[in-house]
Amino acid sequence: MIWFSLLVLIPLAAIIVKASGGGWHTYADTLSNSQTLDAIKLTVGTSLLVTALNMVMGTIIAWVLVRDRFPGKALLDLVIDIPFALPTIVAGLVLLSLYGADSPLGLHFANTRSAVFLAIAFVTLPFVVRTVQPVLEEMETDVEDAAASLGASRAVTFRRVVLPTLVPAIFAGASLSFARGISEYGSLVLLSGNLPHRTEVTSVRVMSYLEGGDTAAAASVATVLLVVALLAIVSLDIIARRVARRDGRNG
Amino acid sequence: MAKRLSERRRERGTSSSAGRERRSKRAQRAHHSAAVGRRNPALTWGLRFLVVGYLLMLVLWPSWYVVQHTFADGLTGIQTALQDPDVQHALLLTAEVSVLAVAINLVFGVGVSLLLVRYDFPGRRVLSALIDLPLSVSPVVVGLALVLVYNGRYGWFGPWLEDNGIQIIFSWPGMVMATCFVALPLIIREVVPVLEEIGDDQEQAARSLGASGWQTFWRITVPGIRWAIVYGVVLSLARSLGEFGAVKVVAGNVAGETQTATVLVQQKYQNFEQTTAYSVSFLLAFAAVLCLIVVALLRPKASKESR
Amino acid sequence: MSIEVKNVNKRFGDFVALDDVSVSLPTGQLTALLGPSGGGKSTLLRIIAGLDSADSGSISIEGTEATHLPPQKRNIGFVFQHYAAFKHMSVAKNVAFGLEIRKKPKPEIERKVNELLDLVHLSQFANRLPAQLSGGQRQRMALARALAVEPTVLLLDEPFGALDAKVRKELRDWLRRLHDEVHVTTVFVTHDQEEALEVADEIVVINQGRVEQVGTPDQLYDAPANDFVMSFLGDVTTLGGELIRPHDIEVDVTPGEPGAIEGSVSRVLRIGFEVRLTVLTDVGEVVTVELTRTNARRLGIAEGSRVYLNAVLGATRV
Repeated sequence: MIWFSLLVLIPLAAIIVKASGGGWHTYADTLSNSQTLDAIKLTVGTSLLVTALNMVMGTIIAWVLVRDRFPGKALLDLVIDIPFALPTIVAGLVLLSLYGADSPLGLHFANTRSAVFLAIAFVTLPFVVRTVQPVLEEMETDVEDAAASLGASRAVTFRRVVLPTLVPAIFAGASLSFARGISEYGSLVLLSGNLPHRTEVTSVRVMSYLEGGDTAAAASVATVLLVVALLAIVSLDIIARRVARRDGRNG
Repeated sequence: MAKRLSERRRERGTSSSAGRERRSKRAQRAHHSAAVGRRNPALTWGLRFLVVGYLLMLVLWPSWYVVQHTFADGLTGIQTALQDPDVQHALLLTAEVSVLAVAINLVFGVGVSLLLVRYDFPGRRVLSALIDLPLSVSPVVVGLALVLVYNGRYGWFGPWLEDNGIQIIFSWPGMVMATCFVALPLIIREVVPVLEEIGDDQEQAARSLGASGWQTFWRITVPGIRWAIVYGVVLSLARSLGEFGAVKVVAGNVAGETQTATVLVQQKYQNFEQTTAYSVSFLLAFAAVLCLIVVALLRPKASKESR
Repeated sequence: MSIEVKNVNKRFGDFVALDDVSVSLPTGQLTALLGPSGGGKSTLLRIIAGLDSADSGSISIEGTEATHLPPQKRNIGFVFQHYAAFKHMSVAKNVAFGLEIRKKPKPEIERKVNELLDLVHLSQFANRLPAQLSGGQRQRMALARALAVEPTVLLLDEPFGALDAKVRKELRDWLRRLHDEVHVTTVFVTHDQEEALEVADEIVVINQGRVEQVGTPDQLYDAPANDFVMSFLGDVTTLGGELIRPHDIEVDVTPGEPGAIEGSVSRVLRIGFEVRLTVLTDVGEVVTVELTRTNARRLGIAEGSRVYLNAVLGATRV
């Protein structure tokens, strides 16, 4: 417990204390800095988009991994974990090799906002897949067969029977993915170019405040990041519950 | 400090057989689902194509490119890189820090898992929620947090520790702490469900047969969760080897001293020593993928055993 | 007296599991703790074993004050409902565990393990893993494991609860024979009154955290202390406002003895050698009566017959 406090709780508390040390002033000053504000907007906006994409793609990938069978599926299962295990800086380099300046595809994403999107999509890939997959495995195909026997088409079965069961898992994965998205740093360092107002993300802002010795500003941006992550986790949890309840009532 | 709750315990008594049933059901269903998939070939193929394509573009093809870059000139690239003393030092440092961090996380992780599963105490749910926190905190913020507390000049504990001859920030203890922080939940997340599934019947039986708490732990509990520990350690190792942001903040980044492999990759790349950057990246990626393969190979074996 | 339980209280949150329980369990006997699920009997057993602690009260085992001793110092053998087999150890290793903990010399352990595996008829399975055994075999292994440490008392928590009916019956007979051989003080928990009546020397009936009655099977069956014990140990019906066992009612078709209760048969159900009547008495009571097929035939009873009901001499009534 002491170790946990020394390692996690006290340091995180220190950030909040440091940031509040100058009262609201520090926040106001830091957040009125247009460069910081742009960074936050970009980070949150992109993370939201990526999370939305992940909710769709992640569910589809999980579905294919659980219900489909074809040669090479085990390999695909392994591939899902690569973004999680790969060092983030290497992930940046990996993406740079295909989508960078000498891209063989002619896709020059480096130093653009697309690169930010790409990097975040890469590192957050496993989250929704890995939360939905076990739920799908536990789910009885009997239920789907029953729905089909009652005359429901595949689309209706999916929407009315399968999806409601998956909703909590999808949202749980989404909140992890969003939290990871807004905090991403390593993969973006090389890929995004960190152009102020254009491709600089929040973590990079924190880093440059820190390197400039302005720890108070760094702490206040960090606090904003923590609060946004917390808000996202809580609100996604609420949405998931509400969706589940509504389906329960109507279905 | 904590009181055992035997109601929870008794509920758990049946859970292992339920788990067994669930697994065998899953096996039955494997046949079943193939039939479901066959119902609409166009859709099945469409989804398959979409998924494979997405993963190919996002993960596989780029990864393959790194391999190609690394071996563009055969093995010379890697050889040159490995002769660079900075690279040697960075790789060694990364290995040392990772192993130390994993060892600490192992002890702490197993301890916390036992605490969370076997004991009931006020704040258990809060602790369980806090454990996952490091997964959603930016590595840079982790670094910042540690700097604020342990910095030698203005940190909370830093000056005192420095007066006593312990330097944490810009030194290896800070790097180990940063690595511990980011990899903290991984072992716990593997061990907790297994502890819940096996229940504590066996532990109680051992105690009733005269085993002390320590003997029970080593002879009964550890063998029961050994595979979970192995996964947790392998995943933590992969994560620790690859930690970048947090370590960069606390390490100070002095080449040949506190520069880890990931930080080195960034520096080399920005200094246009691309071959070295790609070679070290490849080594790191190779280690990570190796960890994944180890886990993938172990997993089915362990679930067979527990059945 | 081997196990003395004095004024033990135990709560789980708001739920009172044991309410001021005091009971003495005799040395060398096979005692059953009998009662409905959730009545507190398992909790009492676990407190005796030291696996749970009492909120207040004291436990002593063979004269040794044990209230605050941890389970490993109480020298008990405990058998769990779900076997609690050590999954990663062979059958022989499971049985040897307690002896190894006590650092006994190797040859002694080996001899003892062989002896016990013989006793529980598992010698040929010594090197198997528990997963390769049937439920009944696993429970016999658990019993051998508990006996290996030569416990002062052997405690069994619903030992046959997870087994199917046939194996259950076999193991029950076997436990009785085993006890006659080994003579270790044994306490087992069960919710099955037939099991308790058949196996135990003495029965403690526990309900809602209280001891309802202690006695031999015969005492309990013939002289139940209250309604609960009466109805828990066997079928009951009401006759003239009193609880009585259906087979303790005498049926007649003519008004013989004075005080007989008159009624008419509303249903006749034959189960094998026995006939069960449902009688609606003139005062509006519904009485169940059991009699032999021979008797029913002799009396010529059918649905609608007028009958006169009497309690037989020496009937158990509460």
